[in-house]
Amino acid sequence: MKPEVTTVMHGYVGTLFGSILPNLNSEYSMGDTGLMAMSFMMMAQEFDRAAEIRLQENEDMRALFAHAAEEIDNEPLAKRLREAASGADASLRVSALTKANDELKALLIELHEYVEASSAKWAPELEMRIWSVLCAGVERRKLDFPKLF
Amino acid sequence: MSDIPSRFAAYLQHKMPHVSDVVVSDLSRIYGGASRETYRLNATWNEGGAAKSRALILRRDPVASLIETERDIEFNAYRAFHPTGLPVPEPLFLETELTWLDRPFFVMEQILDSAAGSAFNADPYGEHAAKIGEQFWTQLGQIAKADVKAIGFDKNLDPIAPEDCWHVELDKWEKVINEDELCPQPIARAAIRWLRRNPPTPAERISVVHGDYRTGNFMFNSEGRITAILDWEMCHLGDPLEDVAWAADPLWAFQNPERPGGMIPRAEALALWEKASGLKADPKRLQWWEIFNSLKGLAIWISAGKEYETGASREPILAFSSWYCTDVHNRVLAEKLSMLNAEGRQ
Repeated sequence: MKPEVTTVMHGYVGTLFGSILPNLNSEYSMGDTGLMAMSFMMMAQEFDRAAEIRLQENEDMRALFAHAAEEIDNEPLAKRLREAASGADASLRVSALTKANDELKALLIELHEYVEASSAKWAPELEMRIWSVLCAGVERRKLDFPKLF
Repeated sequence: MSDIPSRFAAYLQHKMPHVSDVVVSDLSRIYGGASRETYRLNATWNEGGAAKSRALILRRDPVASLIETERDIEFNAYRAFHPTGLPVPEPLFLETELTWLDRPFFVMEQILDSAAGSAFNADPYGEHAAKIGEQFWTQLGQIAKADVKAIGFDKNLDPIAPEDCWHVELDKWEKVINEDELCPQPIARAAIRWLRRNPPTPAERISVVHGDYRTGNFMFNSEGRITAILDWEMCHLGDPLEDVAWAADPLWAFQNPERPGGMIPRAEALALWEKASGLKADPKRLQWWEIFNSLKGLAIWISAGKEYETGASREPILAFSSWYCTDVHNRVLAEKLSMLNAEGRQ
């Protein structure tokens, strides 16, 4: 699509702030319009990166699960971790990547809780790895937000 | 909205049977009332042959909102604090009958010639930042110091013991996440587990907790004087450090934790609060409440996202807060908890 979607979204932000919002006479409509413009800024960022974020996060979690499966003492959980680790993202549609991401995150929560409760030798390092995956995820998803007002 | 003026005029006439010719004009919905529909308006009437008028605020329950709250508790907070000298608008009427405006509502005075700051502004108070900051933290200390029984704040509220404050609040917001999450929340879940593994010491005293005391929820005038502390819809009895932590949350300061609310440096803010409240901002307990409050924020944004996604409400503020504020609070929590867990393992 030309012009690029992100270009159009940024253009809409300019139109909303520059010509629509100043011509509104309802305080509530002005508030809604301002928030919709700011939401377009976030959408522009997300449109470009959404697939990559989810793909990378899914790969990080699968790598973590493969490692954890070899460390932990709980065989039923280790089996599920190995199964999840052997998966792959067949579709790059954001909806498909998000569905896989949700399933992997549910398992990550289970693993995290298990590791936190463990005093085994491997637990501190594994817990650190889990936080490393989580922190990388939130940094990737960070929304740049301009100082508007 | 078109029939509100005539219906509300009929209500005022009903509440003030000794007056006549009630007219409601200049009705305008105020933006940002995410838990209630908030309108400003002017009411005029004839009283004993004299023309009278008053600028009012009408807060009506919404169809769906960011936060489910009881309007009678909020109304009672205004009633409790208005006579104390704190800048709190005068509450006038509380109405739970649906016949007047379809949903419950309450009415209070409108504070004129004042505005609220924005949490999305890196410098919301400009040249008045220091003056407003001093009032903001001092007044929060005064709220903490208030005698809950003497001012009548505890009416219709369950009593709470100092050692129970933390888990009552944590249970409440965990339940919101359990009920409203649309996808797994690994950071929120890690925060809940950390909060339960590391309970705080009991509250130094049971105080009024405003519940949403922050930039954006008070008004100030052109001279830098705070004229109204608003949005008491989440008020309750509890540990006063809960309010201190919420007011200091990085979300309200464009993510600058060293200058809470975009006002004064954190150390000064805490010193002012301690002086006004007569209490100590115990660092360890404050840290617990700071992590709790970022989790509470997540719960609110998760809930907002569900309202929008399910179509219960299509207010843009619900989608916006679910995207942007979730992003901020997930990062705040991930950063803090990863460090705390590493320290805990050493």
